[in-house]
Amino acid sequence: MNQTAQQDLRDEEIVALCQKGQSEVFEVLVRKYMEKAFRIAFDFTHDVEEAKDLSQEAFLRAFSRIKQFDGRSSFYTWFYRLVVNICLDHTRRKGRVIWERLERETEHGTEPMEIADASSLPDQEAMAGEAKRRADRTLEAMPNKQRTVFLLRNHQGLSIPDIAKVMKTTEGTVRVYLHRAVAALRQSLVEFV
Amino acid sequence: MKEPRDTLQTACRDFEEDLVLHYYGDGSEAERNRVEAHLKECAPCRVFLEDLRKLLPQMAKTNEMPQSFWDNYYRETVEKLAAQEGRRYWWRNLFAPMRAWMLPAFGTAAVAVFAVALVVSKGHWHLPLSQTQERIPQEILADTNQLEFFEAMDMLESLSKLEPLDGTKVETGNSHG
Repeated sequence: MNQTAQQDLRDEEIVALCQKGQSEVFEVLVRKYMEKAFRIAFDFTHDVEEAKDLSQEAFLRAFSRIKQFDGRSSFYTWFYRLVVNICLDHTRRKGRVIWERLERETEHGTEPMEIADASSLPDQEAMAGEAKRRADRTLEAMPNKQRTVFLLRNHQGLSIPDIAKVMKTTEGTVRVYLHRAVAALRQSLVEFV
Repeated sequence: MKEPRDTLQTACRDFEEDLVLHYYGDGSEAERNRVEAHLKECAPCRVFLEDLRKLLPQMAKTNEMPQSFWDNYYRETVEKLAAQEGRRYWWRNLFAPMRAWMLPAFGTAAVAVFAVALVVSKGHWHLPLSQTQERIPQEILADTNQLEFFEAMDMLESLSKLEPLDGTKVETGNSHG
């Protein structure tokens, strides 16, 4: 099967081929989901190398478990779950390290987040930088599930039903987590609005 | 530039969760209509929604990675997948040199060798019987020889006892002298 034909395949067809032993087709899924997987991991880690390692680990895990995929959910919700679980495990292991890194960033500064009418003026840049750090700290301080729901909805654009599938919970719970996360962020960033 | 706010203006408690969903475009048609109707008459809820519109899109912004990063990422991932596949089916590598043509070739060669051996031996296949004897330890063979000697001696003794009963004298070497 040539590359063009492979890229036209639906996820479920690719998975079926992998399950039959055509493992090289899995590379199409890598190409398709690598940016999303990396961005989720980056939202959790804020570190390019760690995000790369974690998202690649998710692909390896998906590949080794592809025969266990039963098609009850779509491939991408199954794969997102793997990515999120790997990131959460990593966050639990490195919780303290993340806090230390945030402290370092506070001291040395980081790329500012553009809030409100931020322009190139130094005081406004500093303010935007502070807003970014505050937002990161608020996110880090959130319970894991709350943060995950927020990142999947706000950063990844997943729908609430899909987030519920990824996190194996109800849509009502997802709504509650999302509301809490957004309210907490607004509260911490009120002075920057 | 606007002056930053220090105080948080809260939205109506009953609507706050719906406002978050409204911002993301989630919720049913009925929920959306209900929120929009409420927003027309509630200033704090309008401020809440406006805050979300200012804050949340900025938070979702990510740095774009260059194409070279994605090319490397893809190549590395494929390499890691291949390495994992290699570890998983390591036993296949053992037989990797065994190409499809090798099995019939080796089979044919084995048959040929067997046929040649059959012709050379002219069909006479003997098991080396002497090997069974060779396997008996020398000590046991020596004991066997001694046993035969003692049996012969016993027989001679028996002959001398039988002589009186028979009434005849067995001629010995002395009678000739």
